[in-house]
Amino acid sequence: MKEIVVASGKGGTGKTTVASSLAVYLAKKGVRVFTADADVDAPDLLLALGGGRTLFSIDIKESEKASIDKSKCTACGKCTEVCPFGAIVAQNGGQPIVVELMCEGCGVCKLVCPSGAIEVKRTDTGTISIQETKYGFGCVTGKLKLGEHNSGHLVASIRNIGRGKAQDAASDVCIVDAAPGIGCPVIASITGADYVIAVTEPTPAAKRNLERLSKVIKHFGVPAGVVINMGGYSKDFETALKDWIVHELGFQFLGEIPVDYEVVKALVHMKPIIEFNPDTKASKALAAIAQKVGEIL
Amino acid sequence: MRALRKKKVEVPIVAVTGGKGGTGKTTVAVNLAAGLGAKGLKVMLVDTDVDGPCCATLLGVKLGAGDEVKTFKPMIDEMKCVGCRKCVEACHEHALIGLQGQTPRFFEELCSGCKACKLVCKHEAIMDGWKTIGTTYTADADGLKLVVGELRPTEPRSPVMARATVMKAIEELKGDGYDVAIFDTAPGVHNAVAQPLWVADLALAVTEPTPLGTHDLKLILDLARELELPVEVVLNKADVPGGLKDELLKICHERGIKLTAEIPLDEELLRSYIAGEPLVKKAPDSPAGKALMSLVLSIRDKLKGGEI
Repeated sequence: MKEIVVASGKGGTGKTTVASSLAVYLAKKGVRVFTADADVDAPDLLLALGGGRTLFSIDIKESEKASIDKSKCTACGKCTEVCPFGAIVAQNGGQPIVVELMCEGCGVCKLVCPSGAIEVKRTDTGTISIQETKYGFGCVTGKLKLGEHNSGHLVASIRNIGRGKAQDAASDVCIVDAAPGIGCPVIASITGADYVIAVTEPTPAAKRNLERLSKVIKHFGVPAGVVINMGGYSKDFETALKDWIVHELGFQFLGEIPVDYEVVKALVHMKPIIEFNPDTKASKALAAIAQKVGEIL
Repeated sequence: MRALRKKKVEVPIVAVTGGKGGTGKTTVAVNLAAGLGAKGLKVMLVDTDVDGPCCATLLGVKLGAGDEVKTFKPMIDEMKCVGCRKCVEACHEHALIGLQGQTPRFFEELCSGCKACKLVCKHEAIMDGWKTIGTTYTADADGLKLVVGELRPTEPRSPVMARATVMKAIEELKGDGYDVAIFDTAPGVHNAVAQPLWVADLALAVTEPTPLGTHDLKLILDLARELELPVEVVLNKADVPGGLKDELLKICHERGIKLTAEIPLDEELLRSYIAGEPLVKKAPDSPAGKALMSLVLSIRDKLKGGEI
């Protein structure tokens, strides 16, 4: 079973559009597909696949948060000074409050508290569920609790569950839709994968973020190819970008998807574009890209 | 929550956020900052999207040398270490591993820099070491002060880097008589987004009329509610064919949130994006330029009226 991660340094380049169409294309070609949404912060893959039927759902409790016992707290202020995340705040010398949104559970506050008023408690990280999509393949998806930091752990759990379920179903490939950026959840998605599809746009901002992502991909030694999405409005820039991808980054160039408002309509109808309108220009480009990916597999 | 969020500087801070990636956060932030600057205000623009900072690119600014952001990492003195494992037990991230009687092994990539190990060591065997997690930059862009935070690729700790960027900006905001600061955030609703929202007085949630845009907008509105942070919605790509504008209006209406600007699709916006020049300067009379200018005026009026 091969694991393909769809990633991008910049947000909104079309990761989910590529992942959903790739999954449906390969499934229709007889490849046994499984999918995983590793963007636990804004999980959209299932939406793009038209939703699913929940087969299994589990709460993940891997976060830890400081908790202050007000009856023991003397408001000495030591914990507010040492918290590396600015997550313990006090008003005008009063008793401090833990802002759970920002607490990473390191426990330094507990260590410095002279009155033993602080405990570090396990709390919810988020939820993981396995869904059956209308295209016959499964999708493991997660939802991080609001403002949680522990997304790397949740992503690792999603990948583990996804790999397990994909192997149970004797799948040939698991397609992972990653979070935008280059931080913890992206690293947790890329490490140990078989291939990364980096989605970018022909703009200087997206190029810069692709370069940053390429450093992470290379660091973890994963082979990669690049898809240029929303192409067609700046030919010179695109030609130079393709050349740079192949010669400077040393990645495969998988293809270019032109700007096509049918993609928006497909999103609104919650169908992968390749399914919604197979004859539109974006679908044709995606089919060619999916075929290339199929060959790489 | 709002009382707790009292920040260390008086300058009003507007955060530009939105949940989903690629909705136009940076476009709005850069144009808002440039537009307010053009109206005579002293403005700081802060890029807290440390995974993929783009403000400088959109302003056509080359960043010079920056300041490295370093976090603590333990340096263990093997001569002093007695192998008591206190540090191993205290390390929440399991970055220190070792058996009783052994000097622990340190796995740098797991270390959050919290110093718990040093605090529990009774033998002074742990000294301060430092690791660079990213860089902050400051630059002047046509009268606009720019502060940028950039995570070092392969470093996982975006929230720590975002926090360092926010702190750097707050320091820079002291003195110098700034009228307003615009904070551009990362996509998502995670801790690295919460850091700039924590110090903000108003959030603009930039979204687009697609199911993914509305889905993620609800998440960021939930986060703003949790922080008791006033929020307004900016609808980008408002007239995209087949879009879900009605549904967005419904969400705003149900939650009592103001739709403060609608930016239409406009090729001029794309051109300005690629050219690295804010649209409010390059083509203020284009359809998107006008929409952005009206947002600028609305924020300026709020600042004048002391509403932010």
